[in-house]
Amino acid sequence: MTRHNRILLSCVYWAFVAYVFVPLILMVLMGFKDSNFIGFPIRSWTLDWYTGVFADTETLAAFGYSVAIAVLSTVFSVIVGTWIAVLLEGRKFWGRAAIFGMTVLPALIPGIISAIAFRIYARYLGIEPGMGAIVWSHAVHNVPFVVLVVMARLSTLPKSQIEAARDLGADPLIAFLRITFPYLVPAIMGASIFCLLLSFDDFVRSFFLGGYEPTLPVLIFAKLKSGMSPEINAIATVALVLTAVIGVWAERFTRRMNKDS
Amino acid sequence: MTYDASAREERGAVAESASDRTFWGRLSSWAPYQWLATFATASPRRQFLILAVFPILWVLTQHLGPMLQMLRVSLTDAYPVAPGVEQHFTFDNYLSFFGDSIFWMPFFRTLIFAGVFTFCTLIITYPVAYFLARHVSPKNRMLLLLLLLIPFWVGEIVRTYAIMILLGNTGAVNMVLRFFGLIDRPIPFMYTSFSMGVGIVYLTALYMLLPLYSSLEKLPKSMNEAAADLGAGAWTRFRRITLPMTLEGISSGCTLVFLISTGFYATPVLLGGPSTTVFAETIAGFFHVAGDQWPTGAAFAVIMFLAALAITAAFQRLMTALRKGDTK
Amino acid sequence: MTKLILNRRKFLNTAAMTGAALASPAYLRRAHAQGGEVNIWTYNDFVPEAFKEQFESETGIKVNVRLVDDQGKQFNLLAAEAPNPSVDIMTVAGHRFLQFIDSDLLAPLDTDRLSNWGNINPTFSESDWSTINGEKWGAPILSGMEVLAYNTDYVSPEEAETWDTLFSEKYSGQTAYIIQDMMSIIMLKMGYDGNMVAYMDDPEKAAAIVEEAKNFLIEHKPLVRKYYDGGAEFQQMMVNQDILLGHSWNGPAAALINDGFPLGMAIPKEGSYGFVYTYNIAKNCPNPDNAYTFLNAILASPEIGAAMTKASGFISTYKDASNHLTDLEKKSTSFPDEQLANLQFFRAEANEMKYGLVDPAVEAIKAA
Repeated sequence: MTRHNRILLSCVYWAFVAYVFVPLILMVLMGFKDSNFIGFPIRSWTLDWYTGVFADTETLAAFGYSVAIAVLSTVFSVIVGTWIAVLLEGRKFWGRAAIFGMTVLPALIPGIISAIAFRIYARYLGIEPGMGAIVWSHAVHNVPFVVLVVMARLSTLPKSQIEAARDLGADPLIAFLRITFPYLVPAIMGASIFCLLLSFDDFVRSFFLGGYEPTLPVLIFAKLKSGMSPEINAIATVALVLTAVIGVWAERFTRRMNKDS
Repeated sequence: MTYDASAREERGAVAESASDRTFWGRLSSWAPYQWLATFATASPRRQFLILAVFPILWVLTQHLGPMLQMLRVSLTDAYPVAPGVEQHFTFDNYLSFFGDSIFWMPFFRTLIFAGVFTFCTLIITYPVAYFLARHVSPKNRMLLLLLLLIPFWVGEIVRTYAIMILLGNTGAVNMVLRFFGLIDRPIPFMYTSFSMGVGIVYLTALYMLLPLYSSLEKLPKSMNEAAADLGAGAWTRFRRITLPMTLEGISSGCTLVFLISTGFYATPVLLGGPSTTVFAETIAGFFHVAGDQWPTGAAFAVIMFLAALAITAAFQRLMTALRKGDTK
Repeated sequence: MTKLILNRRKFLNTAAMTGAALASPAYLRRAHAQGGEVNIWTYNDFVPEAFKEQFESETGIKVNVRLVDDQGKQFNLLAAEAPNPSVDIMTVAGHRFLQFIDSDLLAPLDTDRLSNWGNINPTFSESDWSTINGEKWGAPILSGMEVLAYNTDYVSPEEAETWDTLFSEKYSGQTAYIIQDMMSIIMLKMGYDGNMVAYMDDPEKAAAIVEEAKNFLIEHKPLVRKYYDGGAEFQQMMVNQDILLGHSWNGPAAALINDGFPLGMAIPKEGSYGFVYTYNIAKNCPNPDNAYTFLNAILASPEIGAAMTKASGFISTYKDASNHLTDLEKKSTSFPDEQLANLQFFRAEANEMKYGLVDPAVEAIKAA
């Protein structure tokens, strides 16, 4: 590959980085504006919006609630999604296409429709609105993404390894846990990030299935009603930093756990 | 990558085998486990059934259930049912779409927009994924990929307002252009197909980037090198080797992005202009503004869904044909 | 922000005073014995935080607020929960009553149980729109109206005296409005009844009027920058100078004025419509007694009304609430009498016919 190409491509990459980061930088910046509305020009600056976030128990509670929902729903999605992927990948059986179709269905229904459909169905099943209902809807909605990612990885698994393990006397479950599962870990990690993200950012399902405790996006929507204030930018920024810290900590933690075991 | 990983795992398995036997060995010789394993794997048929029962039940009850409810609502004349009102079966909700041309415009516009934005996302993210997968050392790769994921942790709405601050008449872009004396009057970027595109590509880039990246990463470097040895130019190598080999990633990325783009609501509503109304907005109108027209809204959602599905099915066929043509 | 903190601190003081005034009445002591909770769906800041704490500590009733962001979602949610909703009190705009009542989602309000009902300005509590089927359905708390809001650096007050400015070539590409609301205003501007109550017996005439208004908006579509939905969008367009004038609700516009933005608002001479946010009790609600206790307490003092106005920018329906506002807040929530004379309230009687015609018209305008 020529040097020329390489430089060109790296320019494209950094241009893309700029594209995704400039709005983000503006968001962080606006949190320092001393006014009730975001936008240029900024005439005076303040730290109050940021310090205010840490004093606002409602916001912090909403953040914690959203994180808990994201983690729980991701655990469900990953287990169910991996299971479905293992069933579907590389197996031929009657009705496979139909099951695959149904599997990806929740990802394809527009948000508002899916939220109302879930609300109607939750009532039909007798699920009370609240944390359980939100976790349930997020888990179902995110399963297809796990299935797609895990299936892609599974299709590249060398069959010989499983066969070798079976030859050595391992039963299918042990073969799965010892060979297949470790091979899937990168895909599962990737899918988890996806699920966490989708759940954390979801407004419409959380709104329709939630109870009296708001998730972070629901709180932000309600606050938006009285204007797009720098307070919302400060909340979003703090939430971003906190999730990043939690993410890095979780990554370190799992790495240490892996080393220890 | 694939080969590296499996080789590493094999080596690991050998090195660990002594300590392993303790846990895995103990588990497999534990009586209840043995009984369970023998029961479960007595025949391939039983093994398959045990594997299949839960997923099938799950997709039937959890995935299909809500959709069927939706379908049922779309075929009734009143929902939610007020007391004392009788619900009737009807096709009128579907007929009202085909009977009134005012709905066709946003419908086709949505499909066209989704197609165009999918293409734009592909063009924009392909070089990015290519750079990451081919030109960055594996050590930095994860870091640079994660860097790109950070902005997606910010909610859609907050990000969309940030784009308004970027593109508005007194926004950052106009401010910079003015500062350098390139313009006298602000350029009205906002509330056009352009501002909408900027917002939508932001939302879809991630869904495109990941499948592209993983398919590019799998591509063996040796093939390109061999082609180069045979004297193929960079463009030829890309067109004849890289592109065909990554068709799978392109196809799954495009399918995902296309289907998701047809359902976008908040971003087009906030960033679009008077002439960019999308179908999701029309559908939401039946639920929000005219709160008592759920059945019509549900029927329209079903129509949109089927149309999007038909288009992606056709697209998948095309891609499969392309791939087959290449391998011949 | 410093400004805001000051306001909040000031409010805490007034709330303490309110509390002193609230402390004794017998209904509160009775409720204290009963405890329990009350579930409310409302907009952010419509239940002032200081009032909520005061109320909880004095009555032992826990206030659960579920934040909502529009009328349609409340309706959908309540409809999905009926006939046994989790909610006691909701926040419905007066002209949306009928939709809720027709779907049998609201309980009529027994005003005899509210000793503080008299604290509401009779303009709102006894207005024609507030009585439906011979019953009262909600306690008015805040009032809004459709106004023409303009950037005073670029647009003169004289230009803002007529809706025509919104459709003039001069401001081409610098205007915005909510189409649904604009349809009613255009009908009024053309000399018709935008509530369509007058044409309930003459559907053909009604259809012709909607058609005329629709054609007017389609004809002027090339001049508009944005059809918007929410107040926050309007504020952002103003701040970014993407628009210089537009139709808006007074609340979001007042919030901009209170922040020092050069904004003016007017009720144009062709007239405009007003609406009222009310607290309503849901049918079959789980805690009706606590709901009444809450309603009576929140109506107790004009300071509470003033606090809602400060937070939302909408006009308080409480008698004497404006005595508790700053001069700027007073200015942003009041209009000259000659402009107020042009104002009428939205009415719900003909809504089924009206929106049956207007909703498709709105789709047609967007599609044009």
